[in-house]
Amino acid sequence: MSLTFDILLLLLLIVTALAVAWTKDLLAAAIIFSSYSLMMCLLWQHRGAPDVAMTEAAVGAGITTVLFLVAIGRTTRREK
Amino acid sequence: MKKALVAALLIIISIPMLIAVAAMPPHGDADSPVHTHVSARYIEHGEEEAGAENLVTGVLLNYRGLDTAGEVIVIFTALMAAFAVLITHPGRGEESGPTTAALDPEPGTEPESDSKAPPPISPVVSFMVRLLTPFTTLFAIYVILNGHVTPGGGFQGGAILGGMFIALTIVLGEDKVRTLLPRRAAPWMQGAAVFAFVAIGVIGAATTGYFLGYPTDASLHLVRELMMVVIEIGIGLGGAAIFATIFLQMEAE
Repeated sequence: MSLTFDILLLLLLIVTALAVAWTKDLLAAAIIFSSYSLMMCLLWQHRGAPDVAMTEAAVGAGITTVLFLVAIGRTTRREK
Repeated sequence: MKKALVAALLIIISIPMLIAVAAMPPHGDADSPVHTHVSARYIEHGEEEAGAENLVTGVLLNYRGLDTAGEVIVIFTALMAAFAVLITHPGRGEESGPTTAALDPEPGTEPESDSKAPPPISPVVSFMVRLLTPFTTLFAIYVILNGHVTPGGGFQGGAILGGMFIALTIVLGEDKVRTLLPRRAAPWMQGAAVFAFVAIGVIGAATTGYFLGYPTDASLHLVRELMMVVIEIGIGLGGAAIFATIFLQMEAE
């Protein structure tokens, strides 16, 4: 069960990472990247590193996403 | 052609990385290097030596305190680098308003999010942020102050605090939230982590002879905890202020 959960999370990590690279809409890419951080956070927690999981949730899923969104808002939404 | 080159390059780079991952000891292996050197001592004596029930905090602030101090200085330097890149007008703020209005003649192209004409905020978002702010603040304070007992600490709590500040700025506008981070106090708050580290380090040097040295006597357990809490508060406030200012700097014209 535990291994299945890990494998599922790792697969989702790969899928979201590829999706970020492929998405042309930068807003969508930022949101997908936030969900990547969420997967990463669950994985940290599941592997027994709650301190890192908290950092990942607060910084990875929270602050960086906001900063990305601000940057997109001030530049352009579509990748050229 | 270019895509094939990129794919080939990625495959070539990934091969040594995958080999390196395959060469790592299996997860939980008792003979792996991470379990054979210092960590056994950390796990056995960490609580009484470092004075923190949360071993991660004990390692971060006591055994490896100097590394963490360096990290804090790196983050502070990163903020200064971000400032150097982001400051376009030396006299930003009030007087930059009219110039941007003049620079933006056609209104329908891009919804600019400046403080003059904020985009309408959904009442749901506004209500939720206002409702959650006290609880988020309480949680952030809990995470910061309990960093030496439970998972978390100054950096995590500071990130939560900074995120809350950003959410409030989006909902209420910069002017109202500025009172939480006054311009004159901002540099001191951004440097809070560095100041706290240096202060505790110097106190440690004065009392034990080592920079960032903690009193080792068992009866001084509370003193060690207090020193850690001071550093955690410094990291928390400093981190929150740094995140908040980077956001404000990006939002400012």
